[in-house]
Amino acid sequence: MLVFAASDKGGTGRSVTSSNVAYRRALAGDDVCYLDFDFGSPTAAAVFDVPGASRGVAAGGLHSHLQGRHTEPHRIDVWAESEHDELRYRPTGSGRLVLLPGDRDGGEFAIGKNTVRRCVNLFLHLESEFDVVVVDLSAGRSYAVDMVLEATAQPELQAVLSRWLVFHRWTHQHVIAAHGLVFGERGIVAGGVERGHDKGALRDSIRFVRAAVPDPESSLWSHVPLAQSEWMRTCDRDLTQLAAELDLGYARLLGKIPLEPVLQWREQLITDEDVLASKVAGMATRQALEELAAALVDDEAWERQ
Amino acid sequence: MAPADSGLQPVLCGEVRTSVLRTSEALTARTAVQLLNLRPDEHVLLSERPNLRVVSPQLLTGVDCRLPAAGGSRPRAVGTVAARAVLTEGRVLQTSAFARLVPSEGSHRRAWGHYLLRPGVVEPLARHQARDVVDGFLAAAPLPGGVLNPGAVAERLLDHVLRHRLLDQRAPFKSGRTRLRWAALPAAEGAGASIERFTVAADGLRTVALRTPVADPAAVAALCEDLALHDWLLTTLLALVERSRLGSGDGEAVLAALRPLVDHLLHLWMPGARVPDGLSGVWETLEKQPGFSRQWQTLVQRIRDQVAVQTAPLSRRVLASS
Repeated sequence: MLVFAASDKGGTGRSVTSSNVAYRRALAGDDVCYLDFDFGSPTAAAVFDVPGASRGVAAGGLHSHLQGRHTEPHRIDVWAESEHDELRYRPTGSGRLVLLPGDRDGGEFAIGKNTVRRCVNLFLHLESEFDVVVVDLSAGRSYAVDMVLEATAQPELQAVLSRWLVFHRWTHQHVIAAHGLVFGERGIVAGGVERGHDKGALRDSIRFVRAAVPDPESSLWSHVPLAQSEWMRTCDRDLTQLAAELDLGYARLLGKIPLEPVLQWREQLITDEDVLASKVAGMATRQALEELAAALVDDEAWERQ
Repeated sequence: MAPADSGLQPVLCGEVRTSVLRTSEALTARTAVQLLNLRPDEHVLLSERPNLRVVSPQLLTGVDCRLPAAGGSRPRAVGTVAARAVLTEGRVLQTSAFARLVPSEGSHRRAWGHYLLRPGVVEPLARHQARDVVDGFLAAAPLPGGVLNPGAVAERLLDHVLRHRLLDQRAPFKSGRTRLRWAALPAAEGAGASIERFTVAADGLRTVALRTPVADPAAVAALCEDLALHDWLLTTLLALVERSRLGSGDGEAVLAALRPLVDHLLHLWMPGARVPDGLSGVWETLEKQPGFSRQWQTLVQRIRDQVAVQTAPLSRRVLASS
């Protein structure tokens, strides 16, 4: 399965959340591969705590592979190379977790026929090797988004299951921007149709993930004045209504990640150690990530219209 | 066959890529021939005994590059790399690219016509030490850009064949690709073929250093394709058995995981079946140490035992309910 992680803007927690989902899938026993297609700022290696690659690798990353300068894109076995205490020991029953980093001096690049061909080859190759292939795309309607829309429209990739996760923060502006990114005139759906995708099928392969969602009912806010608490509830209700009107409602919702300082500030994988032993991360966050990782491969969650 | 300057030994080198064919069912002989019909002007080779093996016509890629060298000085070399695709039992696809390094008579690049008359020959334009080139070529690190890289030729061909519209892109199981990079120097006078080293590096890379009395790179490539095929089978079977959680998972899940192995892989083991005359000594060495077939047989036995153990309660249930 190919999973494309997109977001309307930066700062939505797309990379850190999709990395956590990749990690949870690997813990569940899937062989997982994570591709850093954030060509402007390849930082996925930092999330996985891989030394020497935190801002992309010096040579042989995905940019130079897609541009034909390297036959084999560099691979990092996260279980073997991560410096994270919890990641260094591969748990029994877990699957492989492999990161394909970007190049340090990457940047966006123009996309030609050969780039798309290499991209299709790469997807077909990785899909035949891994259960889940997560592709982390640069924010907005980037070259990376165009390239994967073009690649997945090719006949060879028709038999391969593709799913899109669109991350957005839980604010008025972000909800509107996420709607624009997917359904707008220059959005993912319109761009896909232009390249030969079936409109209905593409729409049905897209789900939203709300990130950094404050929960008005959380104990965190139990001591705020009544007026503030009421105000929070109203905002949340209004946003829910807005999301439903813009087709970002329950039917297209795959997960909600609570506002979590560890995700915001440390931008790393949340391990059970963080939740249970050192308790720096909340149980609700771990639960949300686990549910999102489960929903990703749960066909029922993708059949709701 | 010996070069004019006896200080320069001819080096044969190449790389084999091995992958499962991405189709739900193994191809028949007829469709396999269609798949590997890469050149309309030449025939595809088909042989059905002792197993089904289909070989594409040979393709040439012109190269003007540096030779890899462990010592640092990298002489320029010009010529053509030969490549072909091989499909075994309609299920395992290999692409193989290889070249023979033959010292050039001059130090200048000649017209392409000269090189096209010598398919699969690459001519270094300066003196080089054969051993140095072999060591540089087999160093486990990825080959630097601009250096003779048959692996890149093989990879491109593999991707090309794997996108053929005959293939439904649904492989019956997940598996990785392997790369076997090889180099051969001439064997001592009167000696047979021998293997100097076989290493298994990370990321599916294997390197093989050979001594061979055979100077035909296509024949040595055939031996290396056979080694690569069996190494891939063993690697893939080990990975799939590990994934099936054999011995710890629940019975029906284990059976479901083992099923594709029984359907698609277990009958493919036939080491040495296609090795050209004069090169069979290499397999004998490998069978002694590390013992490819020994490990394969043990795994196969383990799989069969598991299938038997797991099916017994199922059949008992069926009998009870009938």
